[in-house]
Amino acid sequence: MTNFWLFIPEFTITALAFGVIGADLFLARENKKYLPWISSIGLIVVLGIALNYLLGKQENLYGGLFLIDDFSMFFKVFFLILGLLVVLISSEYVKNHIKHPGEYYGILIFSILAMMLMAASGELLTAYISLELLSFCLYVLVASGRYGEKSTEAGVKYILLGAVASAFMLYGISQIYGLVGTTKFADMNLVLVAENSSALDLGLIMGIVFIIGGLAFKIAAVPFHMWAPDVYEGAPTPITAYLAVGSKAAAFALILRMMSSGFISIMEDWQMVIIVIAALTMTLGNLVALAQNNIKRLLAYSSIGHVGYLLMGVVAMTPLAFDGIMLHLVGYGVTNLACFMCIIMLYNSTGRDDVAGYAGLADRSPFLAMSMAVALFSLAGLPFFAGFTTKFYLFTAVANEGLIWLVGLAILNSLISLYYYLMVIKSMYIDPSEDTTVLVFSRYSLSVLGILVVFIFLVGVYPGPLVELIQEASQSLFSYIP
Amino acid sequence: MGSTQESGTEGGVLTESLVVFLIISVVCVAGGLGVVFSRNVIHATFLLLVSLMGVAGIFLLLLAEFLALVQVLIYGGAITIVVLFVIMLTKSDEFESLVDNSQKPLAFLISIGLFVVMTVAAIAADNGNTVRASLKFSDLGHSLFTDWAIPFEVASLVLLVALIGAIVISKQGEEE
Repeated sequence: MTNFWLFIPEFTITALAFGVIGADLFLARENKKYLPWISSIGLIVVLGIALNYLLGKQENLYGGLFLIDDFSMFFKVFFLILGLLVVLISSEYVKNHIKHPGEYYGILIFSILAMMLMAASGELLTAYISLELLSFCLYVLVASGRYGEKSTEAGVKYILLGAVASAFMLYGISQIYGLVGTTKFADMNLVLVAENSSALDLGLIMGIVFIIGGLAFKIAAVPFHMWAPDVYEGAPTPITAYLAVGSKAAAFALILRMMSSGFISIMEDWQMVIIVIAALTMTLGNLVALAQNNIKRLLAYSSIGHVGYLLMGVVAMTPLAFDGIMLHLVGYGVTNLACFMCIIMLYNSTGRDDVAGYAGLADRSPFLAMSMAVALFSLAGLPFFAGFTTKFYLFTAVANEGLIWLVGLAILNSLISLYYYLMVIKSMYIDPSEDTTVLVFSRYSLSVLGILVVFIFLVGVYPGPLVELIQEASQSLFSYIP
Repeated sequence: MGSTQESGTEGGVLTESLVVFLIISVVCVAGGLGVVFSRNVIHATFLLLVSLMGVAGIFLLLLAEFLALVQVLIYGGAITIVVLFVIMLTKSDEFESLVDNSQKPLAFLISIGLFVVMTVAAIAADNGNTVRASLKFSDLGHSLFTDWAIPFEVASLVLLVALIGAIVISKQGEEE
């Protein structure tokens, strides 16, 4: 008999999403400002319930279809906290720029559910349908901006390309099911080990490549990155932050689980594909970022670069490298949210998101300029900031596996990225501004930004407890491999 | 898609089904080519219908009656009609013939390449030991609601989000 208690976080978060959409229906227009509070308190409750009921459990449901272990638990908590932070950074932006707050928060919460399911699924169809739920939520959120053309263009581009990517992934899944006869990762591994995979090679590799292609679209890896800059620019800014962190982390959670418990026995066959994608992704992302003058496009390319680093960890395929990926996801996530919070605050008060709009920011709002500088230094990977610690851990883990040239390329790319981050910082601190009015922000947004900046330092200086949690998570992942 | 047991390919001896398969394949491929080469969107839609019905035939041949039924109902009935509605409701007369862009040769090359790889992979695959077997509707329903309950329920959420999303996005343009 299925123990439905194990689904309690998923059940409660679904109820929360319905609750928020329902509350929107009954709340008067002037009371809609309570929606973010309902959502964030609800998410905290779900987080509490998840920690209370599932911490440390190692079980699976429906014969390996849905897995509860430290790995899925880590990502569940990560996604819930991420969702909470996105709700917090959204609240002022939504008040000013979004017409349908109830649907915005409701669909945001559905997308958190989708990411949680992706991290927990131990089987291709469940993973696919969860990914599809995430994609649909993101399509809607991206197109929900009030400013007509750019937001609509972003939405249409994202939907069309996303549909093609899904089709590829589905074809890959059917190919693998046809050859291996199962969609469950654990069973796939058994079949592949037993058959020694020689008879299946070409079709199997094609299936894996198609699935990687579909996921590479979600994480915006080269050559499937074309949509990212346009969508990042056109989407509402909190959603851009969410896209840059959430959908990537969810896709990586799925990639890590699928590759380690499903396809590890034929690792040599697909490793080269990912090496090429990783090298191309980090180089192209960072080089094209040099030429951007819109801050959201710049961060889009920088996030493409970061995906390249993360993919290196997938190539290495060791517990240490997986720790590195998860740690980097956390560090990158916090940093990126701080960065986008600065962009949102500046946009709310000046309406600008081009790099030139940052000129002289240090005089107009020293705290905002300082936070932005901290976030950018962390993205570049300077010591004392989150980015350094996480990159150091990840790069070391990959270098341990003998991929020295790839790590060298990654370090070179980090140096390139430092250049364009410094250009923004130079603009904030040295360039004179045309407009010298002092910017005033609400206490609420300053405190959210403050919390994020503290997190950046915390991960950078004292990552110990986080690393311990992550190590337990990756150990549970590798415990599936016989 | 959802079911676990039905699978099967040509046994090699069953000549009647081979003949039927060839006829259906010709219909499918001809319909597909028609969609690509037709210059008129309405014609393309009806040719798509032909191709989709051919696929339903292939499902029948594989003894997957449920999939064949769904294929006719959803793709033949719903999808084609929706496509026609979309063409009717948008200002499609502005784009009387479909337009090409400069990337056509590249797209052509990649499609051919993909076709070759997929064909080779399909031929190379060892499918000799699979047997066609029919699956009872009740078994299919049972496994959908027991073993596969999670993806089934998540699919319903996907539909819900799509519905809400469609309304949110279309409402937005209206008020502006």
